[in-house]
Amino acid sequence: MFTILFPRLVTLLSFAMLGTAFLLIVRRDLAGQVRIFAMQSVVLAILAAAVAAFTKSVELTSVALVLVLLKVFIIPRVLNRAVMKIGLQRAALPYLGTPATLVVCGGLVVIAFYVMAPVAASNPLPTAEAIPIAFAGVLIGFFVMVNRRRALTQILGFLMLENSIFLLALLATYGVPFIVEMGVFLDVLVAVLIMEVFIYRIKENFDSIEVDRLGRLKG
Amino acid sequence: MLVTLLLTPLIAAALMALVRPRAWLEFIHALAAVGGLAVGLIVAVRVWRGDVPAAIGGLLRADGLSALMVVVITLLGAIAALYGLGYIRAEYDDTHLTRVRSFFGLFHLFLFTMLLAVTTDNLGIMWVAIEGTTLATAFLVNLHNTPRSLEAAYKYLILSSVGIALAFIGTALLYYAGASRAGEIAVNWTSLRAAASSLNPQVVRLAFAFILVGYGTKAGLAPMHTWLPDAHSEAPAPISALMSGVLLNVGLYALMRFKTIADIAVGANFAGPWFVGIGLLSLAVAAVFLVRQRNYKRMLAYSSVEHVGIICMGLGFGGYWGVLGALLHVINHALSKSLLFLLSGNILLKYQTTDIRRVRGLLRASPLTAGAFLTGILALIGLPPFGLFMSEFLIFRAGLESGPVWVVVLGITLLVVVFAGMLSSVNQMLYGAPFEKVEHGDVLRWSLAPIVVNFTLLLVLGLTLPHAVTEALEAALRVLGVTHA
Repeated sequence: MFTILFPRLVTLLSFAMLGTAFLLIVRRDLAGQVRIFAMQSVVLAILAAAVAAFTKSVELTSVALVLVLLKVFIIPRVLNRAVMKIGLQRAALPYLGTPATLVVCGGLVVIAFYVMAPVAASNPLPTAEAIPIAFAGVLIGFFVMVNRRRALTQILGFLMLENSIFLLALLATYGVPFIVEMGVFLDVLVAVLIMEVFIYRIKENFDSIEVDRLGRLKG
Repeated sequence: MLVTLLLTPLIAAALMALVRPRAWLEFIHALAAVGGLAVGLIVAVRVWRGDVPAAIGGLLRADGLSALMVVVITLLGAIAALYGLGYIRAEYDDTHLTRVRSFFGLFHLFLFTMLLAVTTDNLGIMWVAIEGTTLATAFLVNLHNTPRSLEAAYKYLILSSVGIALAFIGTALLYYAGASRAGEIAVNWTSLRAAASSLNPQVVRLAFAFILVGYGTKAGLAPMHTWLPDAHSEAPAPISALMSGVLLNVGLYALMRFKTIADIAVGANFAGPWFVGIGLLSLAVAAVFLVRQRNYKRMLAYSSVEHVGIICMGLGFGGYWGVLGALLHVINHALSKSLLFLLSGNILLKYQTTDIRRVRGLLRASPLTAGAFLTGILALIGLPPFGLFMSEFLIFRAGLESGPVWVVVLGITLLVVVFAGMLSSVNQMLYGAPFEKVEHGDVLRWSLAPIVVNFTLLLVLGLTLPHAVTEALEAALRVLGVTHA
């Protein structure tokens, strides 16, 4: 029973992750965006746990647990602290408006399906069907980073991109080896902590966290 | 021995956080850098004798290519560290001990991540280590905490992290290509290379595209180079020297490893033209920005884009002489660029500006720095009798043999443009009368002593090709699957 349902469950959860990515585009306030990221991480952890149950992998189960700890609790807490400290709850100032953004992201999903089709087709794993969805998440993460001016939203875009890459690796290979995954988690945590410090410093130096103000180095 | 090599900088970095007095910090810093060089040389000599040292269940492994990189990293690490002692003393007195501490600590963490990247066999760990280099250097770029350095560091952190995220996709795809064809396979470079001929070429092509963009960002190749001039020019001089001279090579190292697999899996004609194209583009972009550059640190940074481009072209032309030239150019560029960035620290301390128009009469103000800077620039733009002349010659000769002639002609034309642009910039700095307020005399005279090593090696590599060097390069060539024709 589980064997038949498993691929469908995986595809469904992958679509749910893509859905949260679209929510992040629509949502304007920073605290809400952080909550959406935490939500996406919960979905990802459930997916990892499902794959772990399917393959009876102890390593992947522990990876899923660390993922919950890191991306549902620690990183959202760090980001919330930053939101409180810089005291900015206002609109997130995208370059493109919401309708145009949704059109672009729809296009990115189509591109993702086109690019990843050979990989999905040649992959024998039952999870392979969802690979293009994961890649669509990567592209949307990129777009969020380019389209938003706030440093904090850029960081959220980066984290979503990272989530999608984790998903991609999970779908294509049932996850990379345990030690590598732990190293990646460490890198992500350190990167977020450094970015947090930079947000404070940008706020101090430029009295704004709009990345636009950073434009002095040219040529 | 590999474990000792990695533990030396790691322990040094940990001690920096614990030790209080400044004299101790400086002592540990110098000891760890010089000790690291000694261990690095021992590892390399073992490899060159035909041994393949491995540790921690094959997680760490050093072959001929690793050995070459280990020597470059530890040698230039030691030189930059010794200069850094004086430089940091001149920049920060004892009231800024926190910054001194974080400089020394992050310096060794930076060395650790680079060494880990080149001595691990696991491509996932290599990715983690290369991302680690970005994290270790982000605060170093922003050490002075000025608005400009903050902008540079933020841009550097975001662009490099995103770029390298793409490389992770490529690595995962390749891992999957290996796992699906060859049964259970580790994400190790050696096992992927062994299974390379049975990998799905379509997937490898896609994976390689991600990897080229991803690690290409880290290597500073155009058009992903935009973070480089900012980060390299805002970092303190010893760090600029390591970022330009060594870190870019770590990105190239990753590209070389993956190119070897792609060459076997897809065929030799696939990756080569991409390397030549992206190399030529980097050369062109650098030439445009070098024609009228007003900031001497940015000038050196753009010149790094240029040289990484040349190395890439050498790898793309391929063949024994092309790849040999590229590896030789890696060494030559590392030696010349790091010494120039160290000297740029001297000029900055003297004139308190990086603006070329506000540096006048360097020859009269500080003759030693000026002489060394001029000689270094002449070596960098490829004049004999220095090593870069030799390696550029080898690379373009390989280009004539393999590729279309117009590529070589265009490449050499761009080199001439760079030559003229850089010389005219340097001339502006050297001559004329110094400003009134600039005192006569060289700063940090004795800190410059280590760069004698750079000049000596550049001369040796320019005049002869010692047997030991050829052996070392051939060990690396065998790893890359290139044999003598």
